[in-house]
Amino acid sequence: MATMIEVRKLDLHYGDFKALHGIDMEIEENEVTALIGPSGCGKSTFIRTINRMNDLIDSVRIDGEIYYGGENIYDDRYDVIELRKRIGMVFQKPNPFPMSIYDNIAYGPRIHGKKNKAELDILVEKSLHHAALWDEVKDRIHSPAMGLSGGQQQRLCLARTLAVEPDVVLMDEPTSALDPVSTAKIEDLVHELKKDYTIVIVTHNMQQAGRISDRTAFFLNGYIEEFGTTDQIFFNPVSSKTEAYISGKFG
Amino acid sequence: MEISANTKKIHRNENIARGVIWGFAGLTILILAWILGFILYRGFYSNNVVGYKYTDMSSDVLTLNDGSEVIFIANKGIRVKDLTADSMQELYTHVIRELNKWSDYTEQSVLCQPIAYKDESPFNSSVKAFLLGKEGLDNWKSYTTYAVDSRQMIEKVAETKGALGYIPAGDRNLLTKDVVPIPLRSIQVAMNSEALAIKDNRSFQEFTEDTLKAIFAGKVVSMTSIGGIGIAPLPAIAPNVNRSLTDNWFGPEFIPKQFDTMEGFYDYMSRNPGAVGLVDYTGYIPSDSYETVTVQRRERGMNLDLWFLIEKPAEGNAGGISYFIINTLFMILMTLLFSAPIGILAAVYLVEYAKQGPLVTVLRMGTETLAGIPSIVFGLFGRIFFVNILGMGIGFISSTLTVTLMILPTLVRTSEEALKAVPPILREGSMGLGATKWQTIFRVVLPAASQGILTGVILAVGRVAGETAVLLYTLGSSYDLVRNLHSPARVLSLHLYLLFSEAVSFDRAFATGTVLVIIVLITNLLTRRLIRKNKQMAGR
Repeated sequence: MATMIEVRKLDLHYGDFKALHGIDMEIEENEVTALIGPSGCGKSTFIRTINRMNDLIDSVRIDGEIYYGGENIYDDRYDVIELRKRIGMVFQKPNPFPMSIYDNIAYGPRIHGKKNKAELDILVEKSLHHAALWDEVKDRIHSPAMGLSGGQQQRLCLARTLAVEPDVVLMDEPTSALDPVSTAKIEDLVHELKKDYTIVIVTHNMQQAGRISDRTAFFLNGYIEEFGTTDQIFFNPVSSKTEAYISGKFG
Repeated sequence: MEISANTKKIHRNENIARGVIWGFAGLTILILAWILGFILYRGFYSNNVVGYKYTDMSSDVLTLNDGSEVIFIANKGIRVKDLTADSMQELYTHVIRELNKWSDYTEQSVLCQPIAYKDESPFNSSVKAFLLGKEGLDNWKSYTTYAVDSRQMIEKVAETKGALGYIPAGDRNLLTKDVVPIPLRSIQVAMNSEALAIKDNRSFQEFTEDTLKAIFAGKVVSMTSIGGIGIAPLPAIAPNVNRSLTDNWFGPEFIPKQFDTMEGFYDYMSRNPGAVGLVDYTGYIPSDSYETVTVQRRERGMNLDLWFLIEKPAEGNAGGISYFIINTLFMILMTLLFSAPIGILAAVYLVEYAKQGPLVTVLRMGTETLAGIPSIVFGLFGRIFFVNILGMGIGFISSTLTVTLMILPTLVRTSEEALKAVPPILREGSMGLGATKWQTIFRVVLPAASQGILTGVILAVGRVAGETAVLLYTLGSSYDLVRNLHSPARVLSLHLYLLFSEAVSFDRAFATGTVLVIIVLITNLLTRRLIRKNKQMAGR
């Protein structure tokens, strides 16, 4: 097993407010890394630095390095389009585009220049299979994506991300807007997907982190309080704060 | 269950609020329906009271003084309703040939070509005397053409557009389907001058059909009841009046005094202050002691008909509005072609690219202010800038550019709001897949905002279709079709304004207004359909 992403001394400022303090982390290939912590601890901010989504916010300033494939993604010469192609992201709220299911999935490949109809057809079906959505939508693949249920929409967004064929999938609280049944489906999927992908998932739900992740990072006030294997964090935490959070004393 | 006083009060207030809201909503709907209904009703249906020096009775056979009976005929392209007998005289004796058009009689801008016979037969002499006598002429006008007999007359009228001819009533059986006989109104109402004089600030000048029928049925005892002075009316009928017409029109209660000779009739008219006489125009001899009076006629009919839509426009009361419809659609198309891309791209810049700061605030304030400026100010600007300074002249391009400038701020504002309403997570979703900013805008944001943008475009179409002030300064008022970018023209709204301000015709103004309403209605319906399709895809 190899290290996929290496974060070194990452600081992040929103204007004058320092949101992340000297983050160091290694994300291993074909593992699920969970980021947990109370609200406002910086876990969502951190996950968005991995594919440079924070670039979209004007007031953000970032210091430090994130190495991916041996290169610093915050290097001026690094191409952010290529980066986001390889490191995909699923967001907190399902955000399908106002177009058909098929067009949603084919959106990524199309903008990256894939035009062949037969190839796209195969890719769309494969991605939907991957996201365990194929059987539910195969008969209405050209109907509007907005007509799907919330859980289905979120799996569609996952399929949309997978269609670009990334190495890493970032998930920012992907189940926070879903019901328990849909949540369970997504969790099963994460388990399946880690065979082919490296997954980083932010979650508010500690049980979820315990169930699905291999490693867990506990964020507190912009610092990584503790980072280790999930078993170690849950059953044998070093920090008293980690233990207090895991046992539900605050959060 | 016990209901507390406070709960009762709450329920009462709730009911009052609901009543008030329903009341206002109902009132609004009622007002809207009333306005739209009124415009459409007046647009499609004309209902006017028109005063003529003739009664409503018409016949296509006109009996002249010597007893000859003549039928006037026109080419079937002429939309002949019933005309008055003196209009035949006018059409045969108009001073300027180029102005001798059917416009005043049938609303058609078609040159009238009078045709006559050259021979000196008693019939022809009699008709000639009738047609030319009023102007005191001895010879036909130089533009008159000639036929040798009824058969040739009918042929000539059939093959010449706008032709007008006449045949003896006896040759009626020769008429073909390409020729129509013209029904003429020739019966006039004369009254003794004394009854028409002003007395005690009262003056009796006009009849309606109803008063006329009442007088001749003997139901009017004193003329005070019909607006005149206190004299009993004495109905009389001249011997030259076609009795079969009057009997039909007045019905069985018709009881006028009758005469053997015209002299007897005129004598009676002169000597009796209450005399009200019917006399045929062909034998009417003017005098100081009696006068003809105006009879009010109610004219009902289709106002906006197919003919009005497809006929080429002409000056005054003639012609249709076909060119104006095309000009209007053309102008809408051109302004949208100019303004939609600019407006939408400007909005994209303001929402997606511009750094939100003082510059953008000033730009926003600027567009908002421009959107609120009265269009006549834009008209003034266009008149000076495009017409004079850029030297484009008064015409289609100047006005289109001015209207474009006028609707641009609104278009920018509505598009901006539509773009702002697109949830940021859609942009993030697209960018997260590795899309560039422009790809995101073009493929996700603009489609998601299309509904709001389209709404803005419909508003713009409505404003262009209804714009008048700008066009008054920059478009001119030509009746022609827009043939090149510089040609002056008219569009529907401008035509409507000019019809109204030059007091040409309310009927035409309402018909034009109705067409405008329908154009805007169709645009709205089409866009709604488009939006619905779009909505289905967006699943909202």
